Amino acid sequence: MVVLREGMCPGLEEGLVRDLRAADIKTVEDLVSSDMEELAQKCSVSYKALFAIRRVLLAQHTAFPVSGADLYEELLSSTAILSTGNPSLDKLLDSGLYTGEITELSGGPGSGKSQVCFGVAVHISFHLKQSVIFIDTTGGFTASRLLQMLQTETRNTEEQMEALQRIHVFRLFDVYALLDCLYSLRGGGLQQASVGGGSVKAVIVDSVSAVISPLLGGKPNEGDISFYWSIIVHHTCGCVYT
Amino acid sequence: MFGVNLASTLKMQRSVSSLNLNLSVRARLISAGIQSTRDLLHVSPKQLSSETGLSQQEALEVLQVVSTGLGGASISALELLQREEEEPKSIVTFCSQLDTALAGGLPVGKTTEVCGTPGTGKTQLCLQLAVDVQVPPCFGGVGGQVVFIDTEGTFLLQRVTDMAAAAVQHCALLVEDDEQRVAMTTFSVETILSNIFLVCCHDYLELLAELHLLPDFLSEHPRVRLLVIDSLAFPFRQHFDELSQRTRLLNGLTQQLIAMATNQNLAVVLTNHMTTRLQGSKSQLVPALGESWGHAPTIRLLLQWAGSRRLAAIFKSSGHMDSTIQYQITSEGFRDADQLEQP
Repeated sequence: MVVLREGMCPGLEEGLVRDLRAADIKTVEDLVSSDMEELAQKCSVSYKALFAIRRVLLAQHTAFPVSGADLYEELLSSTAILSTGNPSLDKLLDSGLYTGEITELSGGPGSGKSQVCFGVAVHISFHLKQSVIFIDTTGGFTASRLLQMLQTETRNTEEQMEALQRIHVFRLFDVYALLDCLYSLRGGGLQQASVGGGSVKAVIVDSVSAVISPLLGGKPNEGDISFYWSIIVHHTCGCVYT
Repeated sequence: MFGVNLASTLKMQRSVSSLNLNLSVRARLISAGIQSTRDLLHVSPKQLSSETGLSQQEALEVLQVVSTGLGGASISALELLQREEEEPKSIVTFCSQLDTALAGGLPVGKTTEVCGTPGTGKTQLCLQLAVDVQVPPCFGGVGGQVVFIDTEGTFLLQRVTDMAAAAVQHCALLVEDDEQRVAMTTFSVETILSNIFLVCCHDYLELLAELHLLPDFLSEHPRVRLLVIDSLAFPFRQHFDELSQRTRLLNGLTQQLIAMATNQNLAVVLTNHMTTRLQGSKSQLVPALGESWGHAPTIRLLLQWAGSRRLAAIFKSSGHMDSTIQYQITSEGFRDADQLEQP
């Protein structure tokens, strides 16, 4: 829903916007879906001018269709499969986490979700030498546990430190902070995090339910987290959340 | 050119319902047809106010939220590790087996739940921790103050005094150098008692209000390193007709506590009751407050009896292995079990 404002396209002046608003046409959608002749009469403007405005607005705001073949080519070239570090889990996930996909881990308390997340982070950062973004909302992220996991992979302290440096941690505790963070990652934060060592290949959120459950069942829908997931996922990185 | 504009517009686009705005403000924006931040680009507060019917002040606030508010900075795991190793990271419990299982003691910066049936020693452990958090750094302690929120009326001054006296005596025997001698002058029963801030809450509303006011208190008292809520279960197990509301409140409360623990570098300890879960014809003793509450604390300890022995089990922790140890409660407080008693 895009609000009509003057200057959006040639021919849309302040006076016309005011008249349209008086006729209850506030957004582009309203204009495009209403009857042109009737509207031209109500707002005392020529049918041709209104039709031209409608054409320009439609061209500006429609979605572009993409052919299936092009989409497939793009997927083939840009998708990577990230191993989780656990062979049985990889087998379950059809060889690992796919970039461009969201994986959800759910389980009872103490079942090991955070441990799996740590394992994935360690594996991607140490074996694949790529960056990982870890968003912790539960306060359960302990760097010393990650170090413990790395110490079983290698005795070399420098390699351990390098791997730890590639894991970027955000500690957020409410849903708006999480949305802000995801939005900023979408708006260029991923590139920033990639500086200094491998591009970001995975975003791990532990856990989404911790920030959303205070809102569930209470006030009406407070914000669409899944919208941001899809945006981040399009940035060619895999996503894991619990 | 066109492509670039579209891309940057897409980047800027964010649904209005995802912004941290007042509900009535948000409703006005949506009814005026403004669904995303794309519609708020290059709009002056005056224009926005005339379009939506918001006051100038409200319109200005909306535009400020849109232009700022882009998440905090991230920190690398390496930096976090260095921070974890520098700062005092755990509060000793004076029960060496439990301290070993917890890799030093109750961790600062995390929330810990202690659950158990009545009489297992949850309050005793809380009182012990309230004394232990004050042990000076040169003795391996944290040297901090404590906020003790008592909801059941089980805070016994005489018991704390006994524990404090025992702790002071214990440290006095360990004095080896001048620094420790000087520290002992500020570590006495009087100072220990004066560093405990006791709050009594009678129902869940008072508890929520207290937690809401706590960040201000903590910024005025930066030495506080421990927050104890004994017990969290009691006020939340009464007067709740709608259990879903209880779950929501508890989850919101938990996030507040975790935020406080992380940002103000506190250890948060909560005690919980036990309840019976019925599954068909079998019944099982489980922690109270529901299954979804189980996700909330970072570490969960279960205190229980096994015959005549007292056992403490770690059954949830992201940084420690699950284990069970034996402890006892003496007149001096929470301690290791006697060597003779162990098998």
